[in-house]
Amino acid sequence: MRLLEKTNRIYLLFSVILYLATALAFYGIIKWLIYDEVENRLLVEKRDFQLYIQHYGWTANSYFVENKIEVELGRVPAGFQESFKDTLIEDRYTQKLVPFRQLTFYESIKGVEHRVAIRKSMIQSYRLMEAITFTMATVLALLLAGTYWFQDRLSGRIWQPFYETLSRIKQFDLVRGQHLQLDQPDIIEFKELNEVLQKMSDQILHDYLNLKEFTENASHELQTPLALITAKVEELIQSEHLTEKQTRWIQTIYEASLRMSRLYQGLLLLAKIENRQFANEQPINLSDQLLERLWDMEELLQHKGIRLHTAVEAPFWANLPPVLAENLVTNLVSNALRHNVPQGEIRLRSTDSALCLSNTGHPLQNDPNDLFSRFKKQGGSSESVGLGLSIVKEICDNYGLQIRYAEIGGIHEFCITKKKVDE
Amino acid sequence: MKMLVVEDEQGLAESISAYLSREGYRCEMAVTYAEADEKMYLYEYDCVIVDLTLPGGDGLQLIETLKKRTASTGIIIISARNALEDRIKGLEVGSDDYLTKPFHLSELNARVKSLIRRRNFGGHNEIQYREILVQVQARKVFVNQQETVLSRKEYDLLLYFLANIDVALTKASIAEHLWGDHIDSADSLDMVYSHIKNLRRKLVEKGSGDYIRSIYGIGYKFGTA
Repeated sequence: MRLLEKTNRIYLLFSVILYLATALAFYGIIKWLIYDEVENRLLVEKRDFQLYIQHYGWTANSYFVENKIEVELGRVPAGFQESFKDTLIEDRYTQKLVPFRQLTFYESIKGVEHRVAIRKSMIQSYRLMEAITFTMATVLALLLAGTYWFQDRLSGRIWQPFYETLSRIKQFDLVRGQHLQLDQPDIIEFKELNEVLQKMSDQILHDYLNLKEFTENASHELQTPLALITAKVEELIQSEHLTEKQTRWIQTIYEASLRMSRLYQGLLLLAKIENRQFANEQPINLSDQLLERLWDMEELLQHKGIRLHTAVEAPFWANLPPVLAENLVTNLVSNALRHNVPQGEIRLRSTDSALCLSNTGHPLQNDPNDLFSRFKKQGGSSESVGLGLSIVKEICDNYGLQIRYAEIGGIHEFCITKKKVDE
Repeated sequence: MKMLVVEDEQGLAESISAYLSREGYRCEMAVTYAEADEKMYLYEYDCVIVDLTLPGGDGLQLIETLKKRTASTGIIIISARNALEDRIKGLEVGSDDYLTKPFHLSELNARVKSLIRRRNFGGHNEIQYREILVQVQARKVFVNQQETVLSRKEYDLLLYFLANIDVALTKASIAEHLWGDHIDSADSLDMVYSHIKNLRRKLVEKGSGDYIRSIYGIGYKFGTA
């Protein structure tokens, strides 16, 4: 729910409640005022009546206003209290029921107990009440609607710089290397927000560029000494007079330097993928690439006695830079080969929605969740640097693909599918 | 054959020239852009090996100027930059090959030889080593005038050996030469062994001398020494 929608809803709910409460209170107060007035009048009239009968006594027709005073014979019931009550009495001419307020009391007229009811018609008061209440309700409602409308428009306009900033941030892309450009709104909070964001994004961009530069430089600066080491070792092994021990040392140095170089290249590649430093994305038939790679490894397959089964129903296409596609399939194939068993199997299954490569192998010793983590090596084989699957995962993550691992009865399967577009 | 090695890392430049000198090339070194530029202007080389990141300038520019002056010089880039763009740019300005650091000297040597062969004979050439004859264009191998049928990898292996005669080759460099950089599994070393076994058998069967010797802990050497 959007911010404005949310505040509007709360505002609307609150004002409707307030409106109803005000209307009710208003109605109540008017009603109370009118009743108070009428009852005071009735009390005054009661006193008038008492004074009157002391002097003149009561004759039936002495007060002719219709239904004004009703006098009957009657004894005071036990526990009687003088009280007001609403009553309906039929109009003599129109036969309509008309509301009255009535005060009942007992009075002795010339020594005889009488029950006396003095009444006042409420019809005019009710009309007044209705009119006032209706007018007030209408005015209040209009006011409410007006404020709501105004507030809606106003906050829309006030929050506009915020939404503008939001959309600019959404469009901000580090890889393009352009600074985030934000407006300078009048509202202090938004201005501050923009300034903070601007500062932050500049810093991020700066760090990103620094990091990028670092990876590039580090690549060069570290590969060169490594090249030097390997070159010197290669020169060294040409000499004829090495003892067996020396040879072993040299071999260790040589292997270590090769591994370091591979390790570094792997890490560099990961950093570059993360930074999305590869351009030239294009649709690539990954199934074909994977097959090609597998055929490339034909000798190795034969050597280990591994059978290859391929079932390509439909090619699996993915959008990614060609270099990374090659890396992806190479790493998958190396993995399937490295962890295979002699006389094992490799199966390739491809549909237009999934590309799966499975291989026989020893049961997994590590946590399958760690499979794609860096440097989590299976069975401590020192030959691999433990980056292959991390690279695969990183490539998938960055190019709208998903890789899943499953083990079913000693078969390890890696499946690449397309990530659902619901970001 | 005259070569120029343009590399700012003195030690590496020395190693490269030492290795190539043993192959009978005359090697010169340049460690800065200016020095390389001057040498290229004054002398003519058959092959130039250029590092891309040089003090004082970019190796790519060096190649461009060289290409304008003498188009016949073979150029091999050696660079730590492995990016595809760099490779493509390098080949675009006219280099013939691109090697990423760190590389094996034996691999560089094989590339140099293959480049010189391509440049000098347009590929219509033969490599002769004693009774072994390789027709490079046709990818055919003869021992004592009898054709020996080799698999693709065996052929590549033989060519690699012939480019590095009497040089100790590490198993890793052989594996990388045959399968590319990404081969790093222990199995590849077994495979190297099995390929060498087959190659040796096929050559000896046709009456060639047994030239492949294994060097304990390191790899193999092809030759008589």
